Amino acid sequence: MSEERFILDVIEEASAKRRSDRRRFMRMAAGAGAVGGLAMLGACGDDGDDVIVVPTPTPTTVPTGSVTDADVLNFALQLEYLEAQFYSYAAFGAGLSSSLLGGTGTQGAVAINASATDGAGQPRQVRFQDPIVAQYAREIAYDEIAHVNFLRTALGSAAVAQPAINLSGDASGAFTAAAVAAGVITSGSTFDPYASDENFLLGAFLFEDVGVTAYMGGVTLLTNKTFIEAAAGIHAAEAYHAGLVRTTLYRKGLSNAALITNAGKISDARDSLDGSTDLDQGIVATVNGQQVANIVPADSNAIAFVRTPGQVLNVVYLNKAAVTGGGFFPGGLNGTVRTSAASG
Amino acid sequence: MTESAQLLDAFDARVERRNLRREFFKTAMGAAAAGVTAFSLASKAGAQSTITDTDILNFALNLEYLEAQFYAYAANGTGLAANQLTGTGTQGAVTGGQQVNFATGIADDAIVGQYAREIAADEAAHVAFLRTALGSAAVAQPAINISGDANGPFTAAALAAGVITSGTFNPYSSPTAFLLGAYIFEDVGVTAYKGASPLISNKTFLQAAAGILAVEAYHAAIVRTTLYARGYAATNPQSSLITAAGQISDARDSLDGATDLDQGIAQTSVSGQPVSNIVPLDSNGIAFSRSPGQVLNIVYLNKAAATLGGFFPAGVNGTLRASVAN
Repeated sequence: MSEERFILDVIEEASAKRRSDRRRFMRMAAGAGAVGGLAMLGACGDDGDDVIVVPTPTPTTVPTGSVTDADVLNFALQLEYLEAQFYSYAAFGAGLSSSLLGGTGTQGAVAINASATDGAGQPRQVRFQDPIVAQYAREIAYDEIAHVNFLRTALGSAAVAQPAINLSGDASGAFTAAAVAAGVITSGSTFDPYASDENFLLGAFLFEDVGVTAYMGGVTLLTNKTFIEAAAGIHAAEAYHAGLVRTTLYRKGLSNAALITNAGKISDARDSLDGSTDLDQGIVATVNGQQVANIVPADSNAIAFVRTPGQVLNVVYLNKAAVTGGGFFPGGLNGTVRTSAASG
Repeated sequence: MTESAQLLDAFDARVERRNLRREFFKTAMGAAAAGVTAFSLASKAGAQSTITDTDILNFALNLEYLEAQFYAYAANGTGLAANQLTGTGTQGAVTGGQQVNFATGIADDAIVGQYAREIAADEAAHVAFLRTALGSAAVAQPAINISGDANGPFTAAALAAGVITSGTFNPYSSPTAFLLGAYIFEDVGVTAYKGASPLISNKTFLQAAAGILAVEAYHAAIVRTTLYARGYAATNPQSSLITAAGQISDARDSLDGATDLDQGIAQTSVSGQPVSNIVPLDSNGIAFSRSPGQVLNIVYLNKAAATLGGFFPAGVNGTLRASVAN
């Protein structure tokens, strides 16, 4: 292979092709143009913010546009409530401590249908068959609980309460609605993420990449450099989680092809909710006619995707229109960032 | 689980994972620091007052050259194209590097080959992206040593870590050895980009750096998850991989100073239940940061202040080129 051929292979075939084989809307040209436009480095030489001040618990709300640091952190906190509750139920069979749920705005609960037979479809501990998957679930649960606690501590009295959350796997649950919309199941069926190792992994998959794209957006909305570094650190943790889930789905998918197919459908569904821009990828691609792994969802520059808060809300509200609640957050979010984008 | 126990468990999970392997970890400090001084980790970054965005991106580019060349050789048997290597400073060549035989007939090894090719493509794209962003300010690839022979840096790193006590560690010799070789780099990249995040002024570059950070974390997770699954497999568990990953983590940590900035993948027990450690995080569930100097301690394989060594036998190009004295 010649050197030129190699770099072409790398950038165009492996990267572009694995993206384009399932994408309606490639942005290779736009991406390349944007890169050239960035090359104005001379002006960036003087970084005046040399001293990082350790903030008091409540962040100062210096506006970047109209969004304050507190707004961004509170938005993130509510995504963490959602993730932490899901993993906590799946790993331990119990939700977050009540001491972690209070705050400003309207506090809500995780919906539980107590009359469900044997807890069917309700948030509950997964009876893991693969002990390694159970170990992953516990690790991620502890991480997400730590994120909730960290953000609540950082925000202090400005922290928002947990809003109402729908994590049910029954016919009226948000997971079922998402799975029907994705085509993972047909209308009238239910998708219960607590029913099996495989369903748990797909449920986790539904959330994890969204968290990565959300923190991508959040990092540049923040003003305080200490918060930027902290957000980058949570961002990394979410990407590790997503990488863990995607790697495990791909590995198990070799003997259970439906896992790979369904991950692709969930990815497509997320992408259809957040507008026409390509911001999502499944876990498999085709290069030169061969199936290859696509563990990392990234653009042609191998940079992770960004979702705006409004686009993140499209996904968790399961609604591509501009709305203030639905899906996993039936009463909407607390705080100032609560309306999904008009994405189609 | 009672309510108050839950949060303690979350902290304990992280503390326990570190205590397992940190002889000098200060438990009391860790517990007290968890809530109150959550932000103090960042303060060290502020001391480097004259660093420009160009400096940071060029520092990152040096690291991407190293990763891209390692994966390009391992996956494809050939390095980056010549037109991806030019720039300011002293251009150097790659020593060593060879294609790994992933076609062992074992399905799990074939998957690792797919991972290698995916990561190789991503790292090559990072090089191209940073070079384009930097334009004429981009540094050239410095001399890089990724040799798997007895005098190569992988062997030096493996000897220092105790992964081997004599002989050679060749990361190209098997899919398993490749995973450990990749493990040496990946978490370091995550900590490097995180450490750089508050140093970058331009929001567009910050966004791009965050996006590369995420991709490095995905890569690290691929490697750690695969090592973990092999190490704790129900049949034929390769526990030596868990031990080796822990030793490499310890070695990295011993190079970059007294602060605990690294974790292996060994299983821990919290509330009597086994828990994996795929994600290296502090007690707040936040990834670690390394300063550029600390990153150089690792890739130079030298805990002293130095300007070259290890994987960069002539040092990196650009203004950020000295490791810190630890």
